[in-house]
Amino acid sequence: MPPSVESPAIEIRDARIRLGDTDVLRGVTMSVPRGKMVALIGPNGSGKTTLLRCLLGLQKLDSGVVKLLGEPIGPRVLGRIGYVPQRLQLESSFTISVREFLSLRRRETRRWFWQSHRKTDALLLGTLGELGVESLLDRPLAGLSGGQLQRVLIAYSLLSEPELLLLDEPTAGVDTPGEQSFYELISGIHARLKITVVLVSHDLAMVFRQASWVYALNGVICCEGHPEQVLNADSLKAAYGIHVTPYHHHHGHGSTEAGQPIQFRRR
Amino acid sequence: MNLPEFLAESFFQRALLVALALGPICGFLGVFVTARRMAFFSDTISHAALTGVAAGFLAGFDEPTLPVLLYCSLVAVAMLWLRERTQLLNDTIMAVLLSTSVAGGVVLLSLQRNRWAELDKVLLGDILSVNWVDVGAAWAVAILVASALLRWLTPLVLLTTHEDLAHVGGIHVRRLNYGFVILLTIAVSLTIRALGILLVTSLIVLPPAIARSLSVNLRQHIVFSFLVGTVGATGGVLLSYPLNLPTGPTITLTLGFLFILSLATRHLRRAPTATHPSP
Repeated sequence: MPPSVESPAIEIRDARIRLGDTDVLRGVTMSVPRGKMVALIGPNGSGKTTLLRCLLGLQKLDSGVVKLLGEPIGPRVLGRIGYVPQRLQLESSFTISVREFLSLRRRETRRWFWQSHRKTDALLLGTLGELGVESLLDRPLAGLSGGQLQRVLIAYSLLSEPELLLLDEPTAGVDTPGEQSFYELISGIHARLKITVVLVSHDLAMVFRQASWVYALNGVICCEGHPEQVLNADSLKAAYGIHVTPYHHHHGHGSTEAGQPIQFRRR
Repeated sequence: MNLPEFLAESFFQRALLVALALGPICGFLGVFVTARRMAFFSDTISHAALTGVAAGFLAGFDEPTLPVLLYCSLVAVAMLWLRERTQLLNDTIMAVLLSTSVAGGVVLLSLQRNRWAELDKVLLGDILSVNWVDVGAAWAVAILVASALLRWLTPLVLLTTHEDLAHVGGIHVRRLNYGFVILLTIAVSLTIRALGILLVTSLIVLPPAIARSLSVNLRQHIVFSFLVGTVGATGGVLLSYPLNLPTGPTITLTLGFLFILSLATRHLRRAPTATHPSP
């Protein structure tokens, strides 16, 4: 498929969406090259969630173009991406185990109900390698901690061997030590699998640590660039009307402030 | 060994066969109904049957199963449609449809004095009066529901876990939602014959609740719920006759007793590991 090899991982041109009385997206244009780890940031109400829903085919555009991996959004291209939702709202009465949940993603394990655990595990772990989910396989999905659940959700999305990974607020619901291991996990995946990773977040600390390029959304992409540039950009501050606490990245990770996420604050 | 005489009675055998068909599939469906918080949904469908029965009699049906199926499906689809198209809360939509269907059914029945006596049967079920056609229908439905659930098990489990993940996984979420509701409606409509409008939901909600305490994963949960549904339904039928109790309520009470027992075993199993291992 020669055309899609060259096409960007995500391509959005003049995307517009009006929900009720609000113009949520007012002409978003952005292009994410393949193989990069980037962040899409913006405060609540900036249209982040809506844009993510567009990329997943859950929300239709009023006008504009959205393409993933060079293709219009549809079941075929969605099969080539991995999506890591923010959280699951599971009833505790739903007894699905981590093994059973992971089995849902691969064709070989679709018959999990009839397969022995040993066979299922062999099929799953062959793909997952050392993601650290082996010890969780017997646990109920509804009983995991925030960090464990996130690891399992990432493992789930990687089972389909995606070319693009979309993570929605990945550090929400994870405690500070969990955040550290998340950073290691995600940069390990990015380095090993060489896939495009898009972090959708309002957490600026993560942007500093992880992303090589940042898109700041506020109904439009109001600025983009390297993390330092974007966070210091006057255009960002002006467009958001916010005060961004400078984040001292070079002060070393041992200091107490290193683990604190910086949030957008409205003035 | 001498079997009790009532086991040789064909009306009793028919009742037992119906229980044997409907108990397990209600248990199977119930795992998803409870996990998807649809217990009230199922209750609304069953109460809607009252209008179905009354309208069926009015239209000249002697055997109201078909009109019940039609009207219940209509109500089920209306619930889904209103949920998609209006800002109304789920609970509100269901309460509106439930109460109007009950009121409508009673009014329609009151217009047909000769049918007024049927109200008891509809409310509480009458499994001992089933004929061979009912037995055939129950088994046909059981096979249909069980094979559909097994055929679409993986998509259904994914849908129950997370709708958006299901969508990204290539599942037609809306179609599957409607499909599940139609299966549930068919099972409920048939089970009304056995348990009545008031108690149908007990055969759907109690087995998974009982099986929950015995299961450590979904596969076990499904298998145990299937078995508990079977035991509860047939056990209720078997107990009701010698004890001379109404059959439908006896099924529900049998399940209720098993539920209390399951709470006790859960308590016993929990006791040694009081402290939850921290992550």
